[in-house]
Amino acid sequence: MVQAQTVEDRVRDFVLKQFPLARRSGVKPGDKWLETGLLDSLGILDLVHFLEAEFSIHVSDEELSPENFQSLAAVVSFVAAKQAASIR
Amino acid sequence: MDFLIWHFLRESVRRNPDKEALVHGEQRLSYRDVARRTGGLATALRKFGVKRGERVGIYLEASVPQVISIFGISQCEGIYVPINALLHPEQVMHIARDCSMKALVTTPAKVHSLVEVIPQIPSLEFLVVCGGGELPDLQLHIYQFDESCAKEPPAVWQEASIEKDLAAILYTSGSTGKPKGVMLSHANVVSGTRIVSTYLGITETERILAVLPFSFDAGMNQLMTAFEKGGTLVLINFTFAREIVQVLLKERITGLAGVPTLWSLLAQPNSTFSKQAMTELRYITNTGGAMPQAVLKVLREVLPTTKIFLMYGLTEAFRSTYLPPEELDYRPTSMGKAIPDTEILVLNDKGEICKPGEPGELVHRGPTVSLGYWNRPKDTARALRPNPLLPPELGDCERVCYSGDLVKTDEEGFLYFIGRRDTMIKSSGFRISPTEVEEVLFQTGKLRGAAVIGVPDDVLGQVVKAFVVARDSVPLDTEGLLAACAEKMPRYMVPKFIEVLPEMPKTSSGKVDYPALRRREGL
Repeated sequence: MVQAQTVEDRVRDFVLKQFPLARRSGVKPGDKWLETGLLDSLGILDLVHFLEAEFSIHVSDEELSPENFQSLAAVVSFVAAKQAASIR
Repeated sequence: MDFLIWHFLRESVRRNPDKEALVHGEQRLSYRDVARRTGGLATALRKFGVKRGERVGIYLEASVPQVISIFGISQCEGIYVPINALLHPEQVMHIARDCSMKALVTTPAKVHSLVEVIPQIPSLEFLVVCGGGELPDLQLHIYQFDESCAKEPPAVWQEASIEKDLAAILYTSGSTGKPKGVMLSHANVVSGTRIVSTYLGITETERILAVLPFSFDAGMNQLMTAFEKGGTLVLINFTFAREIVQVLLKERITGLAGVPTLWSLLAQPNSTFSKQAMTELRYITNTGGAMPQAVLKVLREVLPTTKIFLMYGLTEAFRSTYLPPEELDYRPTSMGKAIPDTEILVLNDKGEICKPGEPGELVHRGPTVSLGYWNRPKDTARALRPNPLLPPELGDCERVCYSGDLVKTDEEGFLYFIGRRDTMIKSSGFRISPTEVEEVLFQTGKLRGAAVIGVPDDVLGQVVKAFVVARDSVPLDTEGLLAACAEKMPRYMVPKFIEVLPEMPKTSSGKVDYPALRRREGL
């Protein structure tokens, strides 16, 4: 649980820093940031670069989907699943 | 005879009414379907009071109604003003006020976002909304899009417009001030369409995927070339590059136009683009900035049978040059040569034709030179000038377009881009005026000085960097400044970098010394 919390904070910090619009509204885990337009295709690319560098994971094209990237909560569970898979 | 934009549609219906014209997700419309709705909308718009030459805005995402609106407004002899769906209410208001917009086609969700600015657009008389959803209370007539499209047109369609009349106003930024409206006549768009479909070899079998917005001249050209030839246009709303790849395969796309950013997305190492055989893809075109050579290399490997056209154009002259695919091996960094029926001059400061290798301004001469900027005679006179090389006997009968782009030619006359004459920034294909960004920074009330420049970026071409000087002695909250920008502007305009300076470098005349700021960045 502790680790999931850390991932969430790190991703949130990145999004707040990189997407200034998020600063005003805040980033709650369930916010649908694709639908609200907070993240566009280039924003996703920035986020993927960050996730790969920060958490030493590799995001494949098949994983670049709305299910994994539609919200903070979705990204956090995606990263957790990737990390678990690499430990195994 | 076809001389107005909507005549493309009329002629394609006559030739093959059942041909698939427009695809968006599960929606598939034949030319007959498109023409029926377009005729209905044109009839309705006339009934609602749109007269020849009046401006009607289109503020929609890529969608079937967006295409119907372009042709419907054109058919009712109005002037259509496409507004990029990424723009914020402040910019929409600027455009609507600037061109005295009479009506706007949009969605209920966007009407809600515009509630505060609509009362500040005095010319606006009515809205046409697409799709259901609750609407706010407004002192305006609101009509339903689908109901409007169902109107029965008269048996004989009367029209007085000719090709010299204005067809569209495309808003774009320069180096200063707010976006200006580039005026395109029917003749401009019709010639631009025919020229481009000629050198791309477009036929009725073409299936073109439109990923660029129609508010961008190259995006609009996807629609026009498809409809001129009676081909098929496929629309897409995407977030992930993979979604583009899926549609390319599913819809057996043969033609795709993009800006460098799109190609960079598709050429990412983890992209499925490189793992699929795109055998149907006959051609791709790049415009809106130079294609990075590394990306070009990937595309050529992944698409061995696809023709790659590198193009260059500016909204003020619609389309200007292209590099034929067979030249890619010899000069991959060139912008090519003039498009058909067009002459490109490279002129030095004395107005003389430059020798090979000598930098000069690209000057465009041909049928796609626009009519200038809406309601801005001074700016128009600066961009469109009398042809300096015309024999005096011809008098002042022709305007040519001074692009503001510095270029040079090689010994064989191929063109190479060098840079801008002014401070305009170009990011991801979008033109950004530094002063528009600076104005928003100043609006925060926290600054004594603000200046922005473009700095190079691998994916976007350039990104915005802001230099700011605090008004008070308290430390500046730079992230708060950026957040304020993000509320007022689309993301491509928001500075990616911000640096606080104790004083702004000034020239001897007291203006911001932009060259000094660029030197700080090693540019």
